[in-house]
Amino acid sequence: MKKKLILILSIVAVSTSFYGQEIQQPKEKQQAHYNVSKFKQLNQELPTPNKQHTASGAPGYEYTQQQVDYKMNIVLDEDNNRLFGEETITYHNNSKDNLDYLWVQLDQNMRAPNSKTNAIKGGGPDALYSASKFTKLFMGKPFQGGFNIEYITDASGNNLNYMINSTMMRVDLPKPLTSDEKFIFNIKWWYNINDYTAIRGRSGYEPFPDGNNLYIIAQFFPRLAVYNNVEGWQNMQFWGHSEFALEFGNYEVSITTPKDYILNGTGVVQNPKDVFSKKQYKRYVEANTSYDNPVFIVTPEEALEAEKGRSDKTKIWKMYAENVRDFAFATSRKLIWDAMAVKLNDKTVMAYSLYPNEGNPLWEEHSTRVVANTLKVYSEHTFDYPYPQATSINAKQQGMEYPMICWNFGRPNAEGKYTERTKKGMIGVVTHEVGHNFFPMIVNSDERQWTWMDEGINSFVEILAEYKYDAELFPMKGKPKDITRYMSGDQDKISPIMSQGGTIFNFGANAYAKPAAGLYILRQTIMGPELFDYAFKTYAKRWAFKHPTPADFFRSMEDASAMDLDWFWRGWFYTTGNNDIGIKEVKKYYVTDKPTERAENMAKAYGITVDQLPASLYLVSEDSKEFNKDLKNKNPEDYNLLNDYIKKNFSSEEKATLKAPKYFYELVFEKPGDLVMPIIVEFTYEDGTKERKQYPAEIWRLNDKEVTKVFPSSKAISKITIDPDEQTADVDITNNSWPKNKETKFEKFKRNQIKG
Amino acid sequence: MKFKKYLTLLLLVPLFAFTLHKYYISLCEIEYVEEQKSLQITLGIFINDLEFTLNKDYEKTLNLATKQEVKDIDAYYLNYLREHFKISINNEPKIYDYIGKEYDNDIVRFYLEISNIKELKSIEVTNTSLFRDFENQQNIIKIKANNSNKTFYLTPNNVKGFLNY
Repeated sequence: MKKKLILILSIVAVSTSFYGQEIQQPKEKQQAHYNVSKFKQLNQELPTPNKQHTASGAPGYEYTQQQVDYKMNIVLDEDNNRLFGEETITYHNNSKDNLDYLWVQLDQNMRAPNSKTNAIKGGGPDALYSASKFTKLFMGKPFQGGFNIEYITDASGNNLNYMINSTMMRVDLPKPLTSDEKFIFNIKWWYNINDYTAIRGRSGYEPFPDGNNLYIIAQFFPRLAVYNNVEGWQNMQFWGHSEFALEFGNYEVSITTPKDYILNGTGVVQNPKDVFSKKQYKRYVEANTSYDNPVFIVTPEEALEAEKGRSDKTKIWKMYAENVRDFAFATSRKLIWDAMAVKLNDKTVMAYSLYPNEGNPLWEEHSTRVVANTLKVYSEHTFDYPYPQATSINAKQQGMEYPMICWNFGRPNAEGKYTERTKKGMIGVVTHEVGHNFFPMIVNSDERQWTWMDEGINSFVEILAEYKYDAELFPMKGKPKDITRYMSGDQDKISPIMSQGGTIFNFGANAYAKPAAGLYILRQTIMGPELFDYAFKTYAKRWAFKHPTPADFFRSMEDASAMDLDWFWRGWFYTTGNNDIGIKEVKKYYVTDKPTERAENMAKAYGITVDQLPASLYLVSEDSKEFNKDLKNKNPEDYNLLNDYIKKNFSSEEKATLKAPKYFYELVFEKPGDLVMPIIVEFTYEDGTKERKQYPAEIWRLNDKEVTKVFPSSKAISKITIDPDEQTADVDITNNSWPKNKETKFEKFKRNQIKG
Repeated sequence: MKFKKYLTLLLLVPLFAFTLHKYYISLCEIEYVEEQKSLQITLGIFINDLEFTLNKDYEKTLNLATKQEVKDIDAYYLNYLREHFKISINNEPKIYDYIGKEYDNDIVRFYLEISNIKELKSIEVTNTSLFRDFENQQNIIKIKANNSNKTFYLTPNNVKGFLNY
């Protein structure tokens, strides 16, 4: 009988919520709805997995990827600022498809006089116009940029048909290229190099007052677009904003420069003896074992000497790079070159920096060391850096990445002095751009579609690398907090992270800072570093030298951690919602053995009397009718019911470890924010000690607005704070404490000012 | 690409401070606390951008928020605020007290106060901070008063927010 009663009661307990609802049912017919749960799985948002991009987030056994190899002869004409090139492209069709044509990216056409980049820009007049900009814009003298294609021929020299649509060129194949076949063709081209300090651009030259130029040359040759399993040809136009993706391949590049120039680029110099002086060559070799400090290959004095001259002779730099997705180089007679060897497990790679004397002393102090640190930290979080070298080039106003080489801003003033802010900016940009070697140069997502996949993921690892380099200059504290200003802004001006790169309002906040903050929260708060790091590494390894999509990232992170994160991706990546969790109410409860009104009602509802309830303990709220002051002095052990049970069921050793809580708190949490997040609660007890508790985000799965939690405690609580370290990007912290903090932030500041 | 420099390329200012943040907004929160007859104002601005503008205005290197910061920096700040951040209460221009400032990572936050406001019938806020040098600058004004909240997004084409209660 007793067993049966308990069974009934357990049903009763489960059913009370239904009972409550029956009474409140409104008379009007309620509207039906689709599944609106924030924990609804992402099946409808993510593409259906297949044998190329699998459900686990890994590449499948039918995954294919093209390969494109380039042989190029490049000539730099410094007198006319022109670049000439002849390239032979070998296109390997590794897909199962027949291709009728190839798409080739012509990024320089973004700067052509007929470019549509300016045509899609709205807005009124600029605040001011330089004379050169004025003539270009209004007086019919636009910069004559863009590719001049001289010919496109097949391997036997026959002309090929082609059609140029702005920044994309279709090369028609004489016959369809079948699976596993290759097609070899040649393109000859030239273009006018832009002064990027006058006309914006990620490449070009910077003129110096001494008459020399520093060339940073990139996106400079007709490059094959990606043909992949998901998008087919990635031939969305280059409008100048969101970046690009390319196929991997091998590059053999000869570059002719003036004889007194120094150059480095993607890959490794194949003829160092020809291009360096004897002394420089010796230092170039010795640098390979300089693990502790950077050493000069080209010294500041040599660079100073070189920049005074202007040789009319030339020399050829022969570069070779394997399995890279692009090629870029920087060159000038002004360049200093320093180097440091970096040990990564069983291999050594080189960290290089090239900079003019104008970059010193800042650059010789930090650049190469920052490159080395970045390679180490990123390797720990992904895979060992697979390329032989990584180079940081000092270029005014730039921050742009290419395989093994990147352009970075940051220079001291004319007296050679620099502030902490200049230093911080320079270390930040070097870390960021060198970090891009991993995302997207190796983990090769489609930058034109998904800016966040390279910028956001990279900005996240950048936080860890900068912290490692200088914890004082780059504290991790407050990282998620910084994004709250953006996330609590005008909803009309916020796009979900999952938006194409060209269509977002606040490019920096949306594609860099918000995804980075999201991953930071995932690592530090939701998953914990151990689970996160393994899953993140899994994603990076799975997709190194491949073309991942957002779904591959989302799926891999869950696949390798056994955490359902669909709610997080949905909220943080697919919506514009923000997080706001507060503590609404705190009630104290005491223990009694007398049935409460609630227990009586329960018994009544199921047709039994109170006496028929099994002997039980009940919690009484301080503000209820049943509460009396005597209860305050009672401990749970004072009730025979509990005492007898403990005596009967536990050994004396076990008994010693049992401790009944003296206080019971009912905590009511509210959630005005749209996102779901874990609730982090800090309890401060009357004796001054503190305790933290974290409830998983799933606590919100049945009620999106408010949840209640019973918290037993042996000590009285004097204060409760939600998210005390501000690690969940809570946009409004005025509801985060109990008792309510009446003093505003303003009043607290004012009080401290007066005190101080 | 690092976003921070990219944006600056859109500008015609060749000498640009090395900015670390990636977007161009300031946030001003104004609360009218009736019991204290006080209008409490906090205004957060990115240090890099403000430094760029002030250095240009004063033809000086102010080294904000560093050990080399100039000694009387608050005078520079107040001077700039008086010119670019203005408030009228009940259709009357008001002078605010400069309670102080704090540095919070990349942001400088000013605490300003207007006292002795018995009743708030209307408020007008003008904030032209940084508009001259940063074409994408947006100055956000959040006003909490008389049991209502209102947010303005000020831009170079729209430099004022006005509320009538």
